[in-house]
Amino acid sequence: MSYPIEEIFRRARLGSASLLDGIALGADADPMKSFLDDILLLPPLFTPQRLEKGIELLREPLYVDVGTEVEVGGFKLRMPITCAPPGGRIADLSGPRIAEVCAEMGIAYSLGENIAPVRGYDVRLTDQPSFKERALSYLENLRGEYGGLIIQQGVKDEDLKLWERIYSDPDFDPYIERGLIAFEIKAEQIYLGDAKDEFMDDPGSALGGRYPASRTFTEEILAGQIRLLRNNFPRVRLFLRTGPYRDLDRVIEIASREGVDAITLDGEGAWISSLAGARVPALVCLSSISRARERGIETSMMISGMLYDGPSVLKSIALGADAVSLGEPVIYACLGGSKLSGLVKKLLGRNSRGLESLLGVAIKECRRGLMNYLKSIEVEMKVLASALGKYHVNRICKEDVCSLSRELADLFRIKYIYAPGGFPENWEIIQRYLEGLEHSPHADLMHR
Amino acid sequence: MISLIFWSEDVPTMITREYIPVEPEALSGDIFRIVSHPIMQEVYRFRHIIARAVRDFLDKEGFVEFDPIMIGPVTDPGTRGAYEFRIPYYGREYRIMRSGILYKQLLAAAMEEGKVYFFYPNLRHEPLDAGKTGRHLVEFVQIDLEVRDADHLEVMKIAERLIKHVIDHLRDYEDRLRRIWEFFGSKRPFLPEISLPLRRMTHEEAVDILMEHARRGEVIEELEKRFNVKKPERRLSYKAEIPWEWEWYLSKINEQPFFIQDYPKGARGFYDREYPNRPGILMDFDLLAPEGHGELSSGAAREYDASRVFARMKESGENPELYKWYLEFLRDHGRPTAGFGIGMERLVKYICDLPSVHLARPAPKVPGVHSP
Repeated sequence: MSYPIEEIFRRARLGSASLLDGIALGADADPMKSFLDDILLLPPLFTPQRLEKGIELLREPLYVDVGTEVEVGGFKLRMPITCAPPGGRIADLSGPRIAEVCAEMGIAYSLGENIAPVRGYDVRLTDQPSFKERALSYLENLRGEYGGLIIQQGVKDEDLKLWERIYSDPDFDPYIERGLIAFEIKAEQIYLGDAKDEFMDDPGSALGGRYPASRTFTEEILAGQIRLLRNNFPRVRLFLRTGPYRDLDRVIEIASREGVDAITLDGEGAWISSLAGARVPALVCLSSISRARERGIETSMMISGMLYDGPSVLKSIALGADAVSLGEPVIYACLGGSKLSGLVKKLLGRNSRGLESLLGVAIKECRRGLMNYLKSIEVEMKVLASALGKYHVNRICKEDVCSLSRELADLFRIKYIYAPGGFPENWEIIQRYLEGLEHSPHADLMHR
Repeated sequence: MISLIFWSEDVPTMITREYIPVEPEALSGDIFRIVSHPIMQEVYRFRHIIARAVRDFLDKEGFVEFDPIMIGPVTDPGTRGAYEFRIPYYGREYRIMRSGILYKQLLAAAMEEGKVYFFYPNLRHEPLDAGKTGRHLVEFVQIDLEVRDADHLEVMKIAERLIKHVIDHLRDYEDRLRRIWEFFGSKRPFLPEISLPLRRMTHEEAVDILMEHARRGEVIEELEKRFNVKKPERRLSYKAEIPWEWEWYLSKINEQPFFIQDYPKGARGFYDREYPNRPGILMDFDLLAPEGHGELSSGAAREYDASRVFARMKESGENPELYKWYLEFLRDHGRPTAGFGIGMERLVKYICDLPSVHLARPAPKVPGVHSP
């Protein structure tokens, strides 16, 4: 499965204008299916909250009146999005530019994937920007109260003691003091190792250098890591990022009990490509968040993986997430902003030599592409929320979504669209109440 | 933070009109003037007298002194976010010791006497906020000892006898000490009479006491003002280390040195042993000085079973691969040991009743300050 690069490129090129030319607002007929495609946002006619907003404004509310600012893990964000660009050549080239755009847009930005040991902590080890260059291009460009930098300590960083180094670095101190830094534990059982410099023996030789390595976690180890970080770094926020594991409910339980500030469930970790199929679907990750909410867990939670547009952000929020973490789409948006995007797209996926040099040129226009892309999501969220009669994204809830399949409806305990003979003709909404799940759905049949 | 300059009109004429900067930044100034100041010379002499008293006590107890091992492939993880210093070492990167804990376990297990100590210089790149506590230095010395086949309760008895020995020994010098006290504005009339056993409270009891005091508005106000923290009452936790401001407070309301024992697991490194029958609680302790001087010493029974240590390293996010020599030593020769380290500068600060630990040694390295 891959992202609809075409669509992301289009947004990067056109910005919010892309929403008006036919395939906007989730009506896209792109063959790629987001895992949330079978969940629909369904606007009502009756919108009492719009009336409330109208009374406040003394005019008919518009989409521009929708508030999108949220608080995630103690960070104030201008919209419910964090950027966690994956590692690799493109991210390397565009790192500081991505950071600047995120800062200007007031969204959180995540740094990780062994940047410090590979590219250098402060002094460049290669021709690519060092860890500090990237971090400071974000922090120095923050405007007002919004934003936050999330710093992972990768496997190689453990030896580097990246967190300790940052914590005693005078350049970071003012930002730590302002509450703008989070350390993010990566609870991943499997990651892509690099045999060359991680282990004495070379288990990777059979797999060509890079190989899926396993890391040991137990409930006690996870709890211990969280406690120790809390103890050692009391002035930073503490985030946890984890992947599509079958025991996510327990992970969330422990992490929130131990007091992490935010949890991100990544439905499509980078290592996934090496172990296709060996994971729970991203949908199940989201359902873990949903279940955690039902159990009264209030810790900030984010979802990531195959989500890239306004509707998917709003659906995620409706189902319990506080924000969406964007990974790969950030890179595509970067590339898509270029006049050469058509060419870049053609070459993507091919192992072309031309791509490298083309990327260098395309990346110069990264700024415009990412900015356009993020703005398109922002406008899209506002238009949709307004249609749902909600004037703040955090008021979107389960009543705003329906499922096309019975199973999904059961998983999330939401309304279900029964559509024999096709959609949208001849369908009915079946309302499911939390306590009424066991009962026959027809008992709660809604007006057709 | 502490006031800029301590000035006393009551000191002998020889040093009237001379002052010693208490603000660490001022140390980058005229270093010779500071280290040659008569009062500072006295402080340095007392550091020497204290060290001699410590050695005298430990030697009589049958300890063997070792010279510190300064660099190695790995240093202990430390806690509270201090970074380690690194140096190139024949194509590898070695660490300068943050403490001698790994080596003292090795030597306590190896030596026939089973009792070893060091005057261990440690380097810790402390976070900047530690520079404001008046208790943290980047470069400092620990009196670091370890005893084989002992647990934390046994070494706590050594620690309290050691403190008593040192203070009793210094009683002969009380007149000279009083000049230092007066110079720095101390209200202390005499050296305290140390009565053993010292008070012992568990971490849980300590947090209980502080939670009780946290209900009083004037306590919160004092801490907020003195330490520039917001809502200190929210920083108290049964699961973590006692925050600096509260440790100061607890120390202030006590008149004798006292122990806090049984810390929760998240508060300490992998080497503090977990009670076999009380999961999550460590067989460890801190020895705190009274009068607001705070922690003097930290100690524990050690986790010595290699498999337990491996699991604990995972819990603290350490890479066991780096600790290969240590894990192999434990696997093949691991024995129960217990020990503690006393911060030399903190001990001098307490005995001389100095306003800040950086006055306890020449050319002190205060976190964030570029001094000689």
